[in-house]
Amino acid sequence: METLIEVKTLSKWFGEVVALNNLSLKIGTGVTGLLGPNGAGKSTLFKLMLGLYTPSRGAIEVMGHNPRNNLDCLRKLGYCPESDKFYENMTGFEFVYWLNRQWGMSRKEATHSAEEAIDIVTMTDRMDDPIDEYSKGMRQRIKIAQALASRPALLMLDEPMGGLDPQGREEMFSLIRRLGDEGRSVIVSSHILYEIERVTDNVVLLFKGSLLAQGRIREIRDLIDRHPHTITIQCGDPRKLSQHFHNSESTMNLDFEENALIIRTRDPNDCFTKLNQLYIDKSEDIEEISCTDDDLQSVFKYLTH
Amino acid sequence: MTTRESQLKEFLHGPPPGQSGYPSEVIGSFGHSITMMVRQRRIVLAAFICFLPVLIPLMMAFFTSSQFSESGLKTFMQLTQSLQINVLTPLLALFFATMLVGQDVESQTIPFVLTRPIHRSAWVLGRFLAYLFVATVIMSISIALTFAACTTLEGFGYDAKNIKLVGHFIWVGIMALTAYGAFTMFLGTASKRPIVLGVAFLYGWQRLANIIPGLVDFLTIQKYINSIMPSLAMARMKEVTVQTEMGEFTKQTINIGIVNATLALLFIIVGLCFLTVLGLRGKEFASAHSLGG
Repeated sequence: METLIEVKTLSKWFGEVVALNNLSLKIGTGVTGLLGPNGAGKSTLFKLMLGLYTPSRGAIEVMGHNPRNNLDCLRKLGYCPESDKFYENMTGFEFVYWLNRQWGMSRKEATHSAEEAIDIVTMTDRMDDPIDEYSKGMRQRIKIAQALASRPALLMLDEPMGGLDPQGREEMFSLIRRLGDEGRSVIVSSHILYEIERVTDNVVLLFKGSLLAQGRIREIRDLIDRHPHTITIQCGDPRKLSQHFHNSESTMNLDFEENALIIRTRDPNDCFTKLNQLYIDKSEDIEEISCTDDDLQSVFKYLTH
Repeated sequence: MTTRESQLKEFLHGPPPGQSGYPSEVIGSFGHSITMMVRQRRIVLAAFICFLPVLIPLMMAFFTSSQFSESGLKTFMQLTQSLQINVLTPLLALFFATMLVGQDVESQTIPFVLTRPIHRSAWVLGRFLAYLFVATVIMSISIALTFAACTTLEGFGYDAKNIKLVGHFIWVGIMALTAYGAFTMFLGTASKRPIVLGVAFLYGWQRLANIIPGLVDFLTIQKYINSIMPSLAMARMKEVTVQTEMGEFTKQTINIGIVNATLALLFIIVGLCFLTVLGLRGKEFASAHSLGG
């Protein structure tokens, strides 16, 4: 796999805030997920890849070149920022068109390319409406269109699923997968593992500006799954239910609340299977199952300690 | 393969967009900037303020009796030189040029622009030319209308000499808009308080430097603007009378000549535009909320 991005002992700080800390990684072709909770440094890494920031220490190469003020590099990149900001009083079409013109395209080419890119993100019907009247999902799609319009070799999407409804998310997942299938490289960031799982199995995990793990998503999923999960089961008789778990090797701790059993387990899958079976057999009065540790932030905290 | 898949495939495997060169980049930036400017409400306010001087000669013609009436020429000179060029052109620059770069930074749209493979100088030049175009149209119409209004006053009419004078003032106005625009655009890139600094320099320091004895007026843009005024207007500015608590004194101004002043203005304009581009290339658009992810 060809290396597109190479980061060598990269650090970036803003005053006393360290956004990236001694980060070293390589990102190859294909679809790569950049996963990390808020403040992990995902957006900062994107901006360093785009040459918008200068590294405080270390170096970054995009397709073998330093991206800072490098127009040849920018010609191959498309970027969809996370922020929901647009030029005022513009329609979706005008927004993409004028950014195309500033890309250096001719009037004809900019028009054609804008129309095609808008069509790909299924916004043709609304492209002549003011952006102010768009929903969050529509604005997200127009941002993707401007990034796609120049047919970039590498597309960087910063939290592209943010604000999309379930159908919009499915369309976005599908679009990213298809881009990958067509041989385009895409780096997509998110703080939700599920979103990344839907588009790629190649993940870079960032936490507090450092690389936590990199590789196939299954390996990372296993890594995450190995940490104790806390599962809360609302039921009629918690003590009776606990008998099914207290002999299990994966159970680390059992706790009781009013009408609830709290299990800390190393193997949540095994635990869920057992609970499902108990529910189907109707041998226990299970009302609700919730996994309080599903939050990625707590998983990251566990992995770093 | 579905229609959408084939459509995406066709799009992605289509010819890569052509790079049509520096002039095309400037035109792209110019067009974008003009589109944004003409849709802003402040253009109406700016035009309204700039057209106010037109009312003065009309009111003078209507309200004053002939024995106290000012000559049309004198009124036109005073209005154009003192009000339109020395007060309103800096105002237009503050209105439009200050935010040429700063607007994108403030509205957080700057990443869209800076991730295009466009020369930073082409982007700045396009935006600057858009400002210059809009401001020149407003200023030129204002000067021409003021001239027309002044013809209602005594001894002033549409002869070749006067029309040439109008042309000269419009040229001075364009030079002033360019110089003040370059200055305020630079402030908008380099400072977080460009309006405050702009007002302090253009309306504070420039006024002060004109009355302080010595050569400090060379450290203003107005000095060079005044030096390219028509000769009739220059005559009015040879001596500046300053009244202080210690008495009245006269400050004599040194005329540096129209060629030298033009060269000095060009140097200021090019220098400030260069510094703006340099500032933009070196700047990192980092802010506290950009650290989110």
